[in-house]
Formats: sequence, C-alpha cells, structure tokens
Amino acid sequence: MKIGLEVHVSLPTKSKLFCSCSTKASEPNSAVCPICMGFPGAKPMLNEEALRFAVSIANALHCNINDRVSFVRKVYFYPDLPKSYQITQLYEPIGINGFVECCDGKRIGIRRIQLEEDAAKIIRGDDYTLLDFNRSGIPLVEIVTEPDIKSEDELRSFLTELTSILYYLGIDIEGELKTDLNISLADARVEVKNITGIRNLIDAARYEIQRQEKLIKSGAKVAQETRSYIEAKKETVGTREKETEEEYGFIPEPDLTSYDITHIPKIKPVYASKIAEEYAKAYNVDKKLIAEFILFDKHALELIDATKDKYEMKYILNGIGLIKKYRKGEIKLEAFEKLLELIKEGGYIDEETLSKIEKGEQISTESLNIELIKKEVRELLTPSIKLNYKKNPKIINFIIGKITTKYKVSPREVAEIVKEEISD
Amino acid sequence: MQSDFDKLLKVCRIRLDKEEKEKMEKELEEIIKYFDVLDSVRIEEVNEQRAKVERLRKDEVKQFDNIEGLLKNTKTYRFYVVGPKV
Amino acid sequence: MSSINSIEEFASIEKGGDYYQKLLEELARLNERLHAFSNINSSINSFPFSAKDNLCVKGVETTASSKILDGYIPPYNATAVERLLNNGFSFLGKTNMDEFGFGSFGINAQEIVRNPFDERYVAGGSSSGAAVATSILKYHVAIAESTGGSIATPASFCGVVGFTPTYSTISRYGLIDYSNSMDKIGIMARTAKDIRPIFDLIRGPDGYDSTTSDLSITSINKKKLIVIDQLLDLVDQRIRELFEKMLDKLNAKGYSIEHRSIDLIDASIASYYIIAMAEASTNLARYTGFKYGFKIEDFDKGYNEFFTEARSVFGEEAKRRILLGTFVRSANVKDKYYFKALKVRDMLSSRLEKILEEGFIILPVMPIPAPKIEDAKKLTPLQVYKMDALTIPPNLCGLPHISFPYAYDNGLPLGAEVITSKFNDYAIIDFVEEWEEDFEYKFKYKIGEVK
Repeated sequence: MKIGLEVHVSLPTKSKLFCSCSTKASEPNSAVCPICMGFPGAKPMLNEEALRFAVSIANALHCNINDRVSFVRKVYFYPDLPKSYQITQLYEPIGINGFVECCDGKRIGIRRIQLEEDAAKIIRGDDYTLLDFNRSGIPLVEIVTEPDIKSEDELRSFLTELTSILYYLGIDIEGELKTDLNISLADARVEVKNITGIRNLIDAARYEIQRQEKLIKSGAKVAQETRSYIEAKKETVGTREKETEEEYGFIPEPDLTSYDITHIPKIKPVYASKIAEEYAKAYNVDKKLIAEFILFDKHALELIDATKDKYEMKYILNGIGLIKKYRKGEIKLEAFEKLLELIKEGGYIDEETLSKIEKGEQISTESLNIELIKKEVRELLTPSIKLNYKKNPKIINFIIGKITTKYKVSPREVAEIVKEEISD
Repeated sequence: MQSDFDKLLKVCRIRLDKEEKEKMEKELEEIIKYFDVLDSVRIEEVNEQRAKVERLRKDEVKQFDNIEGLLKNTKTYRFYVVGPKV
Repeated sequence: MSSINSIEEFASIEKGGDYYQKLLEELARLNERLHAFSNINSSINSFPFSAKDNLCVKGVETTASSKILDGYIPPYNATAVERLLNNGFSFLGKTNMDEFGFGSFGINAQEIVRNPFDERYVAGGSSSGAAVATSILKYHVAIAESTGGSIATPASFCGVVGFTPTYSTISRYGLIDYSNSMDKIGIMARTAKDIRPIFDLIRGPDGYDSTTSDLSITSINKKKLIVIDQLLDLVDQRIRELFEKMLDKLNAKGYSIEHRSIDLIDASIASYYIIAMAEASTNLARYTGFKYGFKIEDFDKGYNEFFTEARSVFGEEAKRRILLGTFVRSANVKDKYYFKALKVRDMLSSRLEKILEEGFIILPVMPIPAPKIEDAKKLTPLQVYKMDALTIPPNLCGLPHISFPYAYDNGLPLGAEVITSKFNDYAIIDFVEEWEEDFEYKFKYKIGEVK
C-alpha cells in the first residue's frame, strides 16, 4: 500500500503572496486589488515574509534548500483562478528531498516544498457561481510527500507530527489544511483531490483503502482516476478527467526574477514529539502524556523547560494538567512554580485555589486540605450514618479519627465539618 | 494534426467554424515549419540573460484605494462576483 | 532650428482662450479619417500626452483595441501615466493599436489606422495611433509600447522619432501585457529634444513592477556606426540606396561606418515569436467574459462553454497567437521550441553586446516602404512576421533603440534605427538630436500650432 499526500498550508502572513491586500478579511471581496483579481496590467510583488515561512518549513522538514528559487505559470481555466494561471513553482522550488520522522521511528520522505498562491473562494449555485476573491492570492506552501505512508495509523501519526512542526513555526492549522490524497493498493494510483481538514483526510483515506481492498478481493481492477471526497456521505466518488501536465503549459513567470534565498533567516524548528520522547526516558514518565501536553502548546513546553531542573517531572505534569483544565494552559511562570510547591506538599487544588495562587495570596497547605477533607468526609458519610447521627452522635467518631490521623487538623474542626455535611 | 488541432482549440478555449479552422490550421503549419529553423541552431552556453534586480515586498497591509472602481467592472450579487457555473 | 523642446516652447506661446477647444475640434475632425485615437479627452489644459490603448488610465475605457476588453474601465493609472499626470501634463486620449500589440501595420486595430502622409497607406504598428497623433499634433508626446518593434515601425512610417528604452527602465505596471519579458513602454515625439525630459519623468524603479531596474543611464558615443550585413540584405533596393546616402552624410559628420556579420537572423525571428506568443497565450487566458471588459451573462452555460463563447470575440491574429503560443509551451514540444528559443535569445544578446561595445548599430527600420492598406491585408501571417526582421534583434534582447526619419520617398517618410547597449539610452537620444541639426522634418499637419 502506498499513500502520498500533497498538503497545502496557508501561511499566516499579514498580506497576500503577491499583493498588499490583507489576508484576514470578512466581508466578501473587501480585501482585493487589481493584482489578486487578475485585472489587466497588474503584476505580482513577492512577499518576503511568505518566502521566510516557506524556507523555514523546508528547513524544518530537512529539505535540501535551493540557493535560488523561481516561479512558473501553471495555466488552466476555472472561474476561481483570476488570471487563468496560478503562479507556483516547478523548476526551482524552495526545497526538495526532506523527511518527517514519525510512526515509531520511520521517515516519511518529502519530495518537494513549493510556494504558490491560493485561488478564490467559490460558492456553487445551480445556474451560476459566486466568487469571493478575498482568498485569491493568499500564500500557500505545498508539501508533497513520497508515497511512503503505509496505513491509516501512519497517516495519523504523520499528520500529527507535521502539524506539530508547523505549529512551532508559527503556523496554526486549525483544520485549514487542504490536501490531495494519493492511494494505491495495487498498481493503479487513485487521487482524491481537495480534502479539507485532517478529520476528512483520515476518513477519506479509510474509505478509499476499504474501497480498493474490496475491489481487489473481488478480482476487479482498481481504475486509475481522480476522485472527490463527499464529507456528508464519508465517501469518495469518481470525478471528471484530470488535466494532464501537457495542458498546464508551464513557463517561467516572466514578471518575477529568481531569488537568492541563502540569506533568509529561518525560524528555528522545534520537534516536540522528540522532546516528549527524550523527557519520557529521562524522567521516567509517560511519553504519551507529555506529547499530549506539548505537541501543540508552546507555553506548556516553556513551563516544563523552566521548571524541570527544580521539580520532579511528575509534579510538573500534574501542574500542567491542572492549568490546562482550569486555565486553558495560560499561567505565569511564578504562579506555576507556586502551584508546583503546593502539589509537592500534597495539597488539594481547585479553581479557587488556583486563583489565589495567581493573585499571589498566601496559601497554607492546611486550608487546602480543608477541601480534601470535606471530600473525604462526604465519601465516608453513608446515608445510614446520616440518619442515625441524631440518635447517636458518637457514630461519627471513627470519621474524626480517620481524618485526624491523615491530616494536620484538630478533632473539633473535623467535627464541625462533619456536622455541616450532615445538615446539607 | 487533425485531432491534435481540435485538442489545442479546446485547451485554449477557442472556437473556430469549419472555414476558419481550415485556414488557421494551414497557417499554423506554415508558421511552425518556419519555427523549425531552431533545430539547426547549435546551442552555445552563454551567460543567461537574467534580470539582476531581486525585489521583495515587506509584509505590510495596504488596502487598494479603489475597490469600488474595481468591482464596477464585474457583475456582483451581494458583494460576490458572479461567474459561470461549475 | 530651435534648441528648446516642445514643452518649453508650448509654455512660451500665446494660447488664446479657446486654444484647447479649437485643438480638440480640429483633432476630432482629422481623427474621423485617420483613426489615431479611440477616444479623445475633452478636458485638457496643459501640454498634452496620449497613451497607447494598452496603458491603463483610471476611469477611461482601455481596450488594447480588443473587443474582449470593450467596456473595461481601469480602477488605477499605469505608473507611466501617473507620473506624467503628477507632473502637470494633460491626458489627451487613448491611441489606437493592433489588438494587444499583435501586428506591424495597424490593420489589426478595431478601426484601421491611416497614414497622415497618404491615407491609402498603413501607419505601421502596433503603436499606430501614437505615431499618427505625434505626426499631426504640433505640441504633444505619445506614450507608446514596443514588444517586437511596435514603436520603431510606426514612427518610421509616420516620420516621427520613436524611442524604445532599455527593457526594465520604465515600469510596466498598468500595461496590458503582451509579452512580459519583452514589453517596453516608450516615447514618440516630433523631435528628439522632447524625448529625454519625458523619459526622465516616467522611468525609474517602481515597487509595483518587480522587473524594474535602478541602474543609471549613460551617454557613451564611440562615433562608430555598424551595419549588420545580413539584415541590410533583406531590405528593398530603393530603401538601401537612400539609407547608404544617409550613411555618407553621417560619415561626413565624423562617424566611421563599419560592417559586421551576424548569423541567427531567422532563428531570432522564430525565437521572438515563440517567446512572445508563449507569454501572450498565458496573458490572454484571463479574458473569460465575466470579470471585466466584454461580458456575457449565460452563467448557466457551464464554465468551459461560457469561456469559449466569450473568447470568440478575439480577433483572428489574437486567436492565432494564442493557439501557437499554447502549442510551443506544451509539454512534448516545449524543449524544441520554447526553451530553445530562450537559448537563442541569450546567444543573440551575447553577439549583439559584443558588437555594441564598439559603437551603435544602424539599420533601416523596415525592409519595405509603408504598404497600401489593401496590400498589407493580403500578406500572410508569416510574411508579416518576417517584416520584423530588423526590429526584432534589439527588441528580443531588450536593447534601447531609436527610430528617426532620414528621407521622404514618394511622399512617405523612411526611418532608420540606431541601437546601443543596455542602459546607454541617453546616447542614442543625443545622436538623433545631433542628426536633427541639419535634417528638415516634413509634417503634413500641425494641429495646435500658433502662427
């Protein structure tokens, strides 16, 4: 089985790839100009930040980065393509021959990384289409993999690793990934085009694998074709002919020169899954847990790195878990350290406690324990004890005894708590 | 070149009637035959004539100052541009 | 002969209260026969310039003389236009041209442009209207454009100065593209003295055109003129005689005349047309009948059918170039035609650069005198393409060249071109200024002249 992907990633630049229109517009056709609408006479102007992101991605995926890059015109007719050609790369792309490490020590090859412009947004009607050119010209990086992915699980693992690497480069996907999926179980290569998001990509792969398996089992041939993924049905369906390369008629883009990218400063890549593995080994904790915390959370990683020499990793992970629960991961280092102190002492921490910590209030482990105590008391108070308490008050003595051995608290205090709990 | 020529017309989204097609095909054949003079040229490696200037644009937002004039050229429906169905 | 340019002279003359109105009326009358302008601006109040109809002028219909752009109203000015407007010049109107620049005679225009010296004859192309306008208006400069010779040719047929600068010196932002690697905006005027001040105003780097250069312009004159024999051999006997007479005159003025050989003549023509058409076919792909210009409304047709229907309004030459251009860049023949053509361009550039180190190249602009319109129509496409043999070398290689009249034969002007190395543009402008010192221009019309 061979699975390969052509992943399109939108870059988070402020302006578009070839013009100064904003990349974040809401009202349709409000961030447009002669360049991104393909008006006669307009010409492209390359965005240096888009180039920097593209080079950084190629670098993070271990590609050979070309010294010089250039662009081409890829000609085809479709209403969402304003110039009827897309400015993309072919002869001198950003980088080639890289890899992504995932899937338990495997390397998925990256064939090429190229920079190109997005097309307009198309809304299909029955008798017409409506077009929003806000999206036209937004910078995309296309990541083409080798057909090295061999299963749905590997696909998942690859996507997690890729999106984590992109996240740490400052590219937050949020489901905006657009992918062409190439799957062949036998000889014929089937391409499923234009799948949006990761969920759909995995579903489409799963369906397609099953479809091809069924065909092969029944002795039928799998047709080499282009298909589309129908989200509503979770199925792939055959579509029209794919345009062959001959019809694209690529020529070098004559309105742009070639660009020396050797001096472009790259964003430093972070391989969070590797770090998770490292830390799991070094600190004897669960790799999956750390990975879950840091793969898409730079702040969590920062906190871990800032505290790992002072505190035990198990406390740190405990702390991270708590702030993710109560604070969606946001906390100042100072407050986090105080939190770790309390965790170390075995205190019970809830939302209120966390607020107090952040406010800088003094918290005694004791007052923390009150909540824990209350919790334990509730557990020990069976309905029958509650019923019989009025007749026989001494019935709660065993509870008081239990609690006072465990916590630093006076019997009188415990008695108060128990009485409160009973009267509730 | 018969079906090749039809394919070429299709790729270009150009339509010709029968007479026009005959005339055009003949003319194209003559011109392409002339272009074949390139076959007899032996390539010499010379300095490629690349433009020297590499101009990059800073990533700053600048709204086009006449979007209204731009869209007046199209047919719009509630801010969307109307186009043919796909 | 006056030593000041037309702009200075214009500033000094007494213009009466109805000067501009009279000028426009006279122009409109003549234009009805010559079709130099596709539209004339009624509100001018300073030194006027015209713009070839492939230059976007904000709010003014700009069609590149193609039906497929009928009704296109650009929302912005081409940089060259903007810079003139910002410097107090008045926009006079759009000048007629061969559709998208596809032509050498001005007969592929929406209205055929006629030669002011004899209206049976062509004005040359593709900047036909620009040359005619320059030839009939006393105070005016034309902003025109050349890809394969579209300034030099009409300038020579209409007896005016036609300057095509080094590729990349004038921003192409707002120029409706024909062949991006070879399109050059240029200037036509009745005297070379008008060229440099306008050139300096409109040239220079522009952020909106990534190919613009910031290299400085020089004026190096080695006092040597070089004739390329294989190209001169293509020229009519009669023109050659008159041309040689001019060379004698220049020789007497202190220029040494030499002859050189160059191969690749036919290969250059092929190379030019292959590259130009390949790029043009991609530039014209955007015209699909719904974003601007000519629009159809049968949206329910299905996009392929819709596009094909809209694109049927392209002229015949435009269709021909789209088809050829698409063919030469298709995968299985691309190496043979497109990439080979690029290499030939580089080879020719290298040869010419060497020759130009020694001096200017000088040649007639066209191998034939201006033909009658009805005769031009009879030429086959390939015959027309081969007429560009003399203007293609500098245009293919982006070299600055200037066309100027040197004789009148049968009542029609003949033009020669002087070519120099890249960025040495001032030198050839100065050359023509020098030539003008004892050459008498003949103009049939002088609209706007104050007697």
